[in-house]
Amino acid sequence: MKTVLNEQNRRNFVAQVESMLHDKLSKCYQCGKCSAGCPVNFEMDYTPNQIIKMTELGMEDSVLNSKTIWLCVSCNTCSTRCPKGFEVTGIMDVLREIAERKGITSKTEKEVQMFHEVFLENVKSHGRIFELELVGKYKLKTKHLFRDMFLAPKMLEKGKLKIHGEKISNLNQVAKIFKDFE
Amino acid sequence: MKLAYYPGCSLKGTSFEYEVSLLKILEAMNIEVKEIPDWNCCGASAAHSINHNLAIALPARNLAIAEKDGFESVLAPCAACSNRLKNADYELKNDDILKKKITNSLEMPYDSQMSINNMLEFLIGVVGKDKIKSMVKKPLAGLKVASYYGCLLVRPPKVMQFDDPENPVTMDELVSLTGAEPVDYSYKTECCGAINSLSKPDVVMALTGKVLYDAKNHGADVVVVACPLCHSNLDVRQKEIERKYEEKIGLPVLFITELLGLSFGINPKDLAIDGHMVAADRVLKKIEELSK
Repeated sequence: MKTVLNEQNRRNFVAQVESMLHDKLSKCYQCGKCSAGCPVNFEMDYTPNQIIKMTELGMEDSVLNSKTIWLCVSCNTCSTRCPKGFEVTGIMDVLREIAERKGITSKTEKEVQMFHEVFLENVKSHGRIFELELVGKYKLKTKHLFRDMFLAPKMLEKGKLKIHGEKISNLNQVAKIFKDFE
Repeated sequence: MKLAYYPGCSLKGTSFEYEVSLLKILEAMNIEVKEIPDWNCCGASAAHSINHNLAIALPARNLAIAEKDGFESVLAPCAACSNRLKNADYELKNDDILKKKITNSLEMPYDSQMSINNMLEFLIGVVGKDKIKSMVKKPLAGLKVASYYGCLLVRPPKVMQFDDPENPVTMDELVSLTGAEPVDYSYKTECCGAINSLSKPDVVMALTGKVLYDAKNHGADVVVVACPLCHSNLDVRQKEIERKYEEKIGLPVLFITELLGLSFGINPKDLAIDGHMVAADRVLKKIEELSK
């Protein structure tokens, strides 16, 4: 872990996170309530309160490459319970978005990241989710071809997997949203 | 009041049972809702995870169309959709710069006058308890029902403005109206991990397993939900969870709309209850026996 940090870089990183988050990192006094109630803390490399402190200290590489930001399930238990009303769930969104913009691919949790990317591609091409195509493309991309496949026959039989997707008529509007914000 | 309906993608696919049952009970209660024309995906958890502006703009398009068409209220039965619609509405109300960016991109105005309701809010607030109670023809007395809320219906409370985030009771109240007995258990607002259902199945099974085993250990005959993503995890993955933890669960998972429909005396087939992966036969049989 890199421990010698450049103060200007630290300030820039903190400013970027705080402006995207609309919240102040210094609000957090490290009580750890967020981490105690986190349902996925057992899988994380850094607990949520550590991520907040590390961000404040400018440990950009460590937080952007952490497992934690991709393992967070956005359940908002942390933000709901935070005694300071800090946007704990929000900081995970912000850090994921910065990692994504910088082109950082998670080494350990790339499936999570890929799922989000494939999901948005699906919305972009149809305006709605076509589940079968989403799952197919995700599997091709991650090469987990057989995982969960045993569920497919029964899901088909029950009518849960639609063979045809729906496309919205005004796809141009959705394309414009993506063009403006992607 | 003109009521808009935002089905979202899951209700047109893997959770079609939710849409079938909800339209059926609304029809029985003579309540008309109209699908938002040409609605698009809200972006769900993927958009907010990696692109904040998209996470606001995608749901905002649906809200702006609904507003333009003269709707005052929208029903979003999927907990993730209602969560994203409310989040977009909240941010557009509170951030003028963002609002300008988004409405410019949409080329449509949005006045934030829309009331956004999840399924439970709609049933309690728009339909009303008295109306629901008057519809119950076949009380489900003796049936033990665990209400599972998950996260998206109640959190974050400052945006959702719905029920108590740690101990919500709305769904339990609806269960009581059907004559069934609400089960008190510990995991009703613990997350099932839906966001990573396909990418981290092991984590999701650990989280979902806790909910199912706890509901079962507290004597539940059935679990009810108001979210298609919760349903997919609790129902579709249940067999796999049993294999992983080597302990039988066998708990049917119904949408709250299906439970209400059963108490209204609607045929289970018309509520698409046979569309679930975990067969609800045992529960349907118990209901028949109890009503004798």
